[in-house]
Amino acid sequence: MPARLRFVAPSGYGRYDECVPTLQVELNRLTLANPILVASGTFGYAREMQAFVPFERLGGIIPKTVTPRDRRGNPPPRTVETASGLLNSIGLDNDGLDAFIEKHLSYLLGLGTKIIANIAGHDRDEFVQMAERLGKCQGLAGLELNISCPNVSGGVDFGTDPKKTSAVVSGVRAACELPILAKLTPNVTDISEIAQAAAEAGADAVSLVNTFSGMAVDWRRRRPILGNNVGGLSGPAIKPMVLKIVWHVARTVRVPIVAVGGISSIDDVMEFLVAGASAVQIGTANFYNPTLAGRLVEELEAALATAGYASVREIVGTLQANS
Amino acid sequence: MARDTYRLRIEAPELARQVLPGQFFMIRSPGVTNLLLGRPFALYDVWTDASGAPAGIDIAYLVVGKMTGLMATWVPGDRVEVWGPLGNGFPPADCERLLLVAGGIGNTPFPAVAREALGLARYGNRAPQAKLPREAVTFCYGVRSAEYLAGLEDFAALGIDVRLATDDGTRGHKGFVTELVANLLQGTDSRGYRIYCCGPEPMMHAVAKLTARHNIPCWLSLETPMACGFGACFSCVTKVKQPSGEWDYRRTCVEGPIFHAEQLAL
Repeated sequence: MPARLRFVAPSGYGRYDECVPTLQVELNRLTLANPILVASGTFGYAREMQAFVPFERLGGIIPKTVTPRDRRGNPPPRTVETASGLLNSIGLDNDGLDAFIEKHLSYLLGLGTKIIANIAGHDRDEFVQMAERLGKCQGLAGLELNISCPNVSGGVDFGTDPKKTSAVVSGVRAACELPILAKLTPNVTDISEIAQAAAEAGADAVSLVNTFSGMAVDWRRRRPILGNNVGGLSGPAIKPMVLKIVWHVARTVRVPIVAVGGISSIDDVMEFLVAGASAVQIGTANFYNPTLAGRLVEELEAALATAGYASVREIVGTLQANS
Repeated sequence: MARDTYRLRIEAPELARQVLPGQFFMIRSPGVTNLLLGRPFALYDVWTDASGAPAGIDIAYLVVGKMTGLMATWVPGDRVEVWGPLGNGFPPADCERLLLVAGGIGNTPFPAVAREALGLARYGNRAPQAKLPREAVTFCYGVRSAEYLAGLEDFAALGIDVRLATDDGTRGHKGFVTELVANLLQGTDSRGYRIYCCGPEPMMHAVAKLTARHNIPCWLSLETPMACGFGACFSCVTKVKQPSGEWDYRRTCVEGPIFHAEQLAL
């Protein structure tokens, strides 16, 4: 068991243990020991983070997106820093599903935390076939469907169309028993429509959101900076937009929300919880503050205790609009 | 150290004890989001305390952008975030003659490389190596103009053969450092030679071509845009030849930054 912070009991608490808040959260069929996850594409296959993060403290790990076959990914430069943000177009560089299962899965499953595999296919059938195979892998906690990657052709098509979203999610739901997170794109007119479609098709939760489409320009050379010309924006720059999306979806769709977008401190975590997220993913911050995710769980206990809450569940969605 | 070129001394005994020549560190200004990511910097050299124990690391950098511009304003006592040592480093100089080739700020990994090769310092937990005599180590160093030559006194103090080139002819050979290398190799028996190279990409391409022609083993230190430095982001890729004969993108931060020239699909 990881060491836990202990807090001085507020008045009214008889037993010492009672004031350690309950961190467990339920996303329908998926139960997490705590709501701190790490986002796909920002944590490698966990091996890369071994020196920085005590994995067993996390609520779960979402490794880098895996596709049916290996992909070289996009030509460099693949990332560029913009104002308080990171623009990337990695292009789902990965070795394919076979290599993921052979090289990474058994390592991941031994880390003492929930592993949620993130998958992307070119069409519904590819998603379904990957789900069938991964559904047979003992020990996996769930699947996150990347129907929102802005950097590959076809990637974002599913997540911008409620019918296609529904087809992929229901296909995966029928193909395996694993809990499903649908990771949505913010690059749509009304994301709640997509979230609704995902929920009705059987998604246990929605991950809000993937990156915002963007670009960076070197005007002197009259060239886009990224090798792929355009990319997706993440980091602190997008946090206000993601907060608004999470709050909006929480008020309009009955589905647990996993928030992801610019979270880089415990205050950011608390903001997303009160706005309606049941769990959060740490993403870009893993690159520049690699020990953050491992520290947030203890900080969450402290923040809840200080605010007088006995569990994460109690604080989720408590934000009240100004009248 | 030279025009727009500074040395940053970081007190970090733990990092100093582990680092190998050619490895790098990510450095970040704490608590800011307008310079969000760390930036990679090669080890210049390890410095020691009065007892001779490794006490910290030196980084040499040229002011070229926002981060290096900020770094130039740092003063003694400031706290910075550093993670590393990262990457593979240069292999031990297992050769009879070592030729170090630097372009611009690409001189930074070479004080440590040279000191290790000469047996003047040990790095990390590497076993002691066969020492090269001073005359067996040559440092070819090219910059735009003499005012950018940085750390010459550090190289001079080692007693190795230093050859300089400047684009404008203000010091040494007028022209490219690659011409220095070509002249040096012209008509020599290159058996037992090894080349370590760091600098702008076109210059490293030229050196790699030269060494292939002379059949000299050559290692290059690459610099690619990087977000994390430890393999999580998959930004810093370069084309590396695969056993199949095809190439694949490989991460410079974990499989490099030092590559044998023959590994690269240039």
